[in-house]
Amino acid sequence: MTQLDDMRRAIREADPQLSRFDPLARIICLDDFDRGMCGWTQLVGNYEDNLDAMLPGYAQHSHAMLSTLPNWDFGSHGGVDGSYALKIATRPKKGAQNVAIKRLTFRKPGPIRLEAYFTFKPEATNLQLSETDIRSFGFLYDLQIGDTSGPGDRVMPHLRFLNAQDGQHLQKWQFKRKTTPIKPIGHAGKTITHYHLAPDDWEDLPGGKQRLCYNEIPTKVNWHYLRFDFDLGSMQATRFQVNDRVFAMDGFDCIRIPAMKNLWCMLNLAFFAETDTDKRAFAYLDSVCLSGEF
Amino acid sequence: MLPENLTAVVARNESWTGTSASEPYEAGWAKEAIVFVRALKEPKGALPKARVEISADGMHWCAEGSEFDLPAAKDAVTFQRLAHFGNFVRVAASLPDGAEITVLVTLHLKA
Repeated sequence: MTQLDDMRRAIREADPQLSRFDPLARIICLDDFDRGMCGWTQLVGNYEDNLDAMLPGYAQHSHAMLSTLPNWDFGSHGGVDGSYALKIATRPKKGAQNVAIKRLTFRKPGPIRLEAYFTFKPEATNLQLSETDIRSFGFLYDLQIGDTSGPGDRVMPHLRFLNAQDGQHLQKWQFKRKTTPIKPIGHAGKTITHYHLAPDDWEDLPGGKQRLCYNEIPTKVNWHYLRFDFDLGSMQATRFQVNDRVFAMDGFDCIRIPAMKNLWCMLNLAFFAETDTDKRAFAYLDSVCLSGEF
Repeated sequence: MLPENLTAVVARNESWTGTSASEPYEAGWAKEAIVFVRALKEPKGALPKARVEISADGMHWCAEGSEFDLPAAKDAVTFQRLAHFGNFVRVAASLPDGAEITVLVTLHLKA
């Protein structure tokens, strides 16, 4: 630790907004949804000429919302330290997904760190615990090397907490190495598509079972901390932590597909929710901190 | 800081028949809204009025009282101004047999 590191740490720990994060040297963004949408938007699918060309996986997506986590039985829940959180809601159909995304680029291919406070719950349409109604909560990066850094790939690290599948309460972290086949869109030869959140090809993260605090009725939630470290130089994950658990990442890998002609230095980050029943799944983000070493 | 101002696409290329509605949207932070509806394809049959609905919980809905025309032709746009709508809001319509409209529904919200 240098003197600068010590000073930086002291300043951050004295700031209540930053004190609950452990960012790297430079903060790329600190998104507290009490300040608004903070640049998070919906993941729209690719199309040309006609929206019918959009893959169904993307067509189902809708806009995330600023939520107070309102409940029919006790009212607004609120966030970690304010009234609002970002809410990602699926449609009420088994297997439905929704995604919120932030689109950036990077200036140095080095270490980055994603931290967030999250929770999830199904829509409280019945008075049951409903702990197996949400299939998954997860997040991903969509990355590509710089235009002169190649050869290299478009790299998409994905992690999801598989909460339940077909009523089985599985509670484990999974990752993905495969996307769907790449499909051309339209006739101009400029756009392609693939659905990287397809339900197939998820693999268990070794040692990735985790029982999260879910609380005792379908409306109460507790906030969880997550941290995911990734090196944009080696395009490898280096560390993953959720609450008190740190998971070994030597068995983890990413979706890797050929670099695309217009996505250089892309740094997209996204969170998603998926329902396992004909009931809306709600994933909530209280705050997200993305930092880097540059 | 400028007040929050959000354009939220809440239904995109959705084909409405029978009783249809946009997904519930939380907008309790907003003091005002305009709902725009655009027809993305040529509508079929006799179109009813669309109505704005509000809800305490996103599950149980009430008609807010505002009604407005659905767009009668491809790329036509209609809108409704809203104020004092609480938190959850959606657009709904009950289309008679044989009627169909493919919609783009957008909420424009301001704090």
